[in-house]
Amino acid sequence: MIEVEGLTKLYDKFPAVSELSFTVRSGEVLGLVGPNGAGKTTTLRCLSGIIPATRGTVRIAGEDLAQNAIAAKRQLSFFPDEPRLFEYLTVWQHLIFTARIYQVVNYQEIGRQLLAELEMADKVDLLPGELSRGMKQKLVIACGLLHSPKVIFFDEPLTGLDPLGIRRMKDSILNRAREGAAIIISSHLLHLLEEVCSHVLILKGGLKILDGTMDEILQKFSEHAGDANLEEVFFRATREANENA
Amino acid sequence: MIGALMYLQMQSIRNRLRMRLRRLKKPKYLAGAAVGVAYFYFFFFRNLFVGSRSPAAADAASPETLLLFELMGALALFVMVLAAWIFPHERAALLFSEAEIAFLFPAPVTRRTLIHFKLLRSQIAILFTTFFLTLVSGRFGQEGKAWIHAAGWWLILSTLSLHTLAASFARTRLLELGVSHWRRRIIVLAAVGLLVVAVMRWVKSSVPAPAESDFADIEALKYYLRHALESGPALYALIPFRLIARPYLAPDAAAFVAAFIPAAVLMLLHYWWVVRADVAFEEASVELSRKFAERIAAVRAGGGWHSTDKPKKRKSPPFALRPTGIYAVAFLWKNLISAGHAFTLRTWIFLALFAVIAGVPIGLSSSSSGWLLPAVGVLTVLLTGYSVLLGPAILRQDLRQDLVNADILKMYPLRGWQVVLGELLAPAVILTGVQWCLVLLATATFSRFPEDNPIPLATRLSLGAAVAILAPMVNLVSLVIPNASALLFPAWMQTGRQHVGGIEVMGQRLIFMLGSVLVFGFALVPAAVLFGLVFFFVKIFLGEMLAAPIGATVAAAVLAAEAALAVGWMGRLFERFDLSAEMAS
Repeated sequence: MIEVEGLTKLYDKFPAVSELSFTVRSGEVLGLVGPNGAGKTTTLRCLSGIIPATRGTVRIAGEDLAQNAIAAKRQLSFFPDEPRLFEYLTVWQHLIFTARIYQVVNYQEIGRQLLAELEMADKVDLLPGELSRGMKQKLVIACGLLHSPKVIFFDEPLTGLDPLGIRRMKDSILNRAREGAAIIISSHLLHLLEEVCSHVLILKGGLKILDGTMDEILQKFSEHAGDANLEEVFFRATREANENA
Repeated sequence: MIGALMYLQMQSIRNRLRMRLRRLKKPKYLAGAAVGVAYFYFFFFRNLFVGSRSPAAADAASPETLLLFELMGALALFVMVLAAWIFPHERAALLFSEAEIAFLFPAPVTRRTLIHFKLLRSQIAILFTTFFLTLVSGRFGQEGKAWIHAAGWWLILSTLSLHTLAASFARTRLLELGVSHWRRRIIVLAAVGLLVVAVMRWVKSSVPAPAESDFADIEALKYYLRHALESGPALYALIPFRLIARPYLAPDAAAFVAAFIPAAVLMLLHYWWVVRADVAFEEASVELSRKFAERIAAVRAGGGWHSTDKPKKRKSPPFALRPTGIYAVAFLWKNLISAGHAFTLRTWIFLALFAVIAGVPIGLSSSSSGWLLPAVGVLTVLLTGYSVLLGPAILRQDLRQDLVNADILKMYPLRGWQVVLGELLAPAVILTGVQWCLVLLATATFSRFPEDNPIPLATRLSLGAAVAILAPMVNLVSLVIPNASALLFPAWMQTGRQHVGGIEVMGQRLIFMLGSVLVFGFALVPAAVLFGLVFFFVKIFLGEMLAAPIGATVAAAVLAAEAALAVGWMGRLFERFDLSAEMAS
């Protein structure tokens, strides 16, 4: 579903991401982990076609993002850490606009269902300025899921959500994966990733320092330190990367 | 403690300057800075080196004229001070940035220290304003008197600033004592009313009123005004204000020193008043700073300074958007909602009907002489012309508004040109609607030239149709220019989240204005040439009536081709566009 090969993004001469390669198959959830400035958001922005990669190839649901951007973008959704909305469109008008962009004929039915799931059914006439941050986040999610994407990218998806919202978000991610979506989540909340991710990729300074399934990675580090969790794995892997550098 | 606050202030200024200097490494900022410096030199600084353009005029001010200026200045200061006691309805609040509040309010810093910090910071703004006002008033180069005017401005601005702050403290203290805003206003207005009555009675009894013939003589009026304000109750009421205004008008150094001492004492009294007032301003300051931060955020997100003042109203969509069809229409729909209630189909039908219903009877009364018909006609033609030039600057419901949301737009499964075309449509449609209404009105009313030569209905219909055909494409081409500039130079257009300023940005905007006019003119040349040719031949073979509309159709096709090429090119620009990289530099 998501195939990344030799992805490199340079800002002038500074490499934000270097030679990154990985694959996320249908039904898998990849946790993208790394310290601040590791290149996680840049990676997600390249994968979603917001910024062009300097080198490398990205294939979304079999479509090359550089060669066939439109077909690739039809299959994906990206949820940035900061919900970005049009301040003059109401909740429902956001859905109408998104439906036209993705040509979703039965948007009314899907939209109402999504809003009900996200507990926003009574907020259809509100403007973004009248919504809390969590509600804005939910509206972005409703818009992003309207066209039933096969590939989903989340950048810090739990920011601004209340405990119930966090629970629902985790369930929603797992449900989408069960339905066959390939998902990448970038987050600093390692406990969340441990709960929902099947795979982990640790980035540091734009370089991949570790990747594999969650079980493989935890097992690998457990050999040295008993029952390792993702937090310990992260600290040890980044420390080792520092020592090797 | 004040040392730490001064360090904060000085480092902030230093770092801001360093950032601006670093920006000059980019050629576009360097070019902008060069133009900005040239602008300042030619408009303000040139006199510094070559002397005043009319030194004689400045030196010619007689003592009577200076006295009148002093009285007028005192009156203006009186009104400003009065406003500080009448209009405000907030509690005393000092504006701090959110970071300053977060660092300073929980810190062991006394209220008086915070006030001193604010006064210190206000001095930076005052010194800059003083410098600017001194430049604007063109005083540099006038036989060494510039420093007098600079010091005069500084004294006026500092005292006004201190008085405004002291008045806000006093208003808060009055509120704490149970004197409401309205009670305070009534008391102040009653006192002012009494003063005005007293002055009027005095003037009526003591100063002979000017005769009707005196209104033709400015000197007689000056005399009357001087005596009205320089005697009786006005004399006493204006004393403190005249003391503040006097140093600015001092004709020489000795007079300045004599005028400066009482004015400085007055300013120091205000300072004493401010620092001695022990009024709680923290809570109101936190609220004020929050509002200020929200406004800055709104401006950076593409909204207006006052866009956070009132909750926004939901706007009705201009038409029902179906889930399938041309993508660009979705952007038109979205941006028309952004433009507001004024741009619905109902509004346009109403305006068109108004143009016909109001215009036709006026136009039909062409037999009557008078200025109304030519005036309405000329006005509508002028407004149509101005709308082409000014419309794209006023209507910004396009990429300039949406570029801050570039990340969302770039995620859509659309070609760049589809996004660009969609974004250009709303302002083009609005402008065209306005122009069509104006054309309708002009066609209906412009039946006579100012010299009374009649304009036949056939000619009006022919020209009206030609303008109506040309308008959409002319608008599209004129909107391409600022939108392409926003994609090429986002930092120039202030589309981003980061506010940009400084002399280099001002210079860039001057270059942009000049460039826009040139590009627009250049884009119109092929269409104008073809229009001329087609008009000439059609006039010969088919007659005058059809010449203008057919010529306009050909010209519109040329403009459409130009717009299509530009939209395609802009689409490729948009696909490569990375706002974060642009703003990071």
